[in-house]
Amino acid sequence: MPTPMPPPPEPGNVQGLILRGYAHHPYSCHMLFTFPLKDLAGATGFVRALMPYIQTAQDWGSSMPPRMLNIGLTYSGIMMFDAMFDSKLAGQFPYEFQSGPWSDSSQESLFDAGTDDPSDPSLWWNGYDNKLIHCIVHSYALTADALSGLIEIVSHAAEANRLTEMLPLKSGSGRLEEYAPLGDFIHFGYHDGIDNPALGWPDSQEDTIPSDANNFVIGYPGSSSQPGPQVGPAAAFAKDGCYNAFRVFYQDVEAFDQFLAANAPAVVTAIGGSLDDAREWLAAKLVGRWRNGSPLILSPDAPDPKTSDCKKFGYSADTAGLRCPFSAHSRVANPRDEPTNPGTDTPVPRISRRGMPYGAPPVPPDYSGERGLIGLFLCGSLVNQFEKLYTWINTNDFSDVFSSPTQDALLANRVPPATGNNSDVDPSFTIPVPNGNPIVIPTMPQFLITRGTAYCLLPSIATLQQLAGMAK
Amino acid sequence: MANPLTLYIPIKQDRLTQAEAQAAYDNFVPGVKAGLDDAKIVHYARLALIPNTNAPGILAVCVITSFDGAMDPYLDFFWNNGALFKAFSALANMALVPPDPPVTKDDETGFEKFINDNNLNKPSDLYNNYTHTVKEIQKRFAEPPPA
Repeated sequence: MPTPMPPPPEPGNVQGLILRGYAHHPYSCHMLFTFPLKDLAGATGFVRALMPYIQTAQDWGSSMPPRMLNIGLTYSGIMMFDAMFDSKLAGQFPYEFQSGPWSDSSQESLFDAGTDDPSDPSLWWNGYDNKLIHCIVHSYALTADALSGLIEIVSHAAEANRLTEMLPLKSGSGRLEEYAPLGDFIHFGYHDGIDNPALGWPDSQEDTIPSDANNFVIGYPGSSSQPGPQVGPAAAFAKDGCYNAFRVFYQDVEAFDQFLAANAPAVVTAIGGSLDDAREWLAAKLVGRWRNGSPLILSPDAPDPKTSDCKKFGYSADTAGLRCPFSAHSRVANPRDEPTNPGTDTPVPRISRRGMPYGAPPVPPDYSGERGLIGLFLCGSLVNQFEKLYTWINTNDFSDVFSSPTQDALLANRVPPATGNNSDVDPSFTIPVPNGNPIVIPTMPQFLITRGTAYCLLPSIATLQQLAGMAK
Repeated sequence: MANPLTLYIPIKQDRLTQAEAQAAYDNFVPGVKAGLDDAKIVHYARLALIPNTNAPGILAVCVITSFDGAMDPYLDFFWNNGALFKAFSALANMALVPPDPPVTKDDETGFEKFINDNNLNKPSDLYNNYTHTVKEIQKRFAEPPPA
């Protein structure tokens, strides 16, 4: 007998970013703050000042808000409010949320840490102490002026309540501001944001699939990813919230362009065509989609505007990787119908991703300057969704299609933790070719550097009202 | 390369808990074998009883394993597996300091924290003679030898 699900969360109690992509708002800024220490009034006052601008997941109909924001709190940030609660929240959250993405346990999945590794957590956020990130405010707007106005409101609220803003970039304003002219494209030239799960609601707990909303919004049964906490003093605090793995990458466009140029001749030798075509073909093989978005599974030979936004396809028929290499980024991050290891790697976890570029593009041959990707990875369980997928990205061992522990062709951190358990990754990338020998690139370059990662909870509106001292 | 788990749980000294610890030791391999076989990530696992040197009885229970991959993203397999969860929750029930949050089937949070809080080792503590995973070893030796 199927176990019925409770009703889905009330959209008015869920922060909008969790259930909506804000695709119509091309301007955004993501500000990092430290609450004043032992100053509950300051933390409370800041949240209260921002409440009028917080966007819920309610349908705005024809009245699209010109500007809006959402708030995430780290574990350190939540602890600044702990005195408000009769039952203390300390120690009641998932282990990875409490210990942070820089911890040894999380780094076993994320692979940032390492001596001389530019992604090492000690270098994150322009040298700020990771534990001092308490709050991240995500501001969105329809126009540049509207965003500037909202940033000013947030800054004034921070100053009035004695918060300290952290400026994580070494260039420009220091803030993480979306580079709006790129639109839906990222610095490597790919059309981004195509494939996010459409968050449904199951009829019964037994029918939950990984893209259902109870895998993302905390406090509902049936999930295979165990969003939590669901019991104990922190359960009410976390209910209708969602975790955000906030991760910022520098994108090495020079290394990327050089990689395409250096390997294009081998592609021409293998399949013919021009060097320009070969570069595009290689770029597509790294990700599993052409740079316009067409999936290789549907459009194996050339990009096709008709398939550029397609999300409905599978890999199970591509058993040799002839259309899409096994280690292509989109095939690793979402294997779809490809069999994964039963038990430990099944079902395939899903995450919702909001991504936007920051920094101006390079003007080759000048590649100087700071640029990259701001990523918001939303999930109900950081460890069972975000970190699980990152173990797959950094070591492809989640399916029998892999004959050696290769890595995600675009995203992986190539140098595993020196003291970790996966010091034996295979750095090569193999591109099968019909009727010929595969193209094998022996050592893939490092295309990304992690500039910082923070694990935040996007609390419910009710929880935010409580933190703001506004709860009835 | 493998990763170590050395779960060290000081246990209550009452007669019932002492008997439960002994039973956990006596039944460990039969109790966990099917689940660990299905996981295909655990190289070795054993449970040891640490004697109390100040009084008769068992001071602590220690579960020692080596396994492939990052630990935390795969704990949900152990939490979801009936026999494995039963083994670990039994240890949690014996603990001198009750885990907080509790280890329960209602929420994985307590289970994950219990394992991490009581793990004495980190990855760099383990000597690895070989780098191959359980799956690689099983696959290699399942193949017929060359003619």
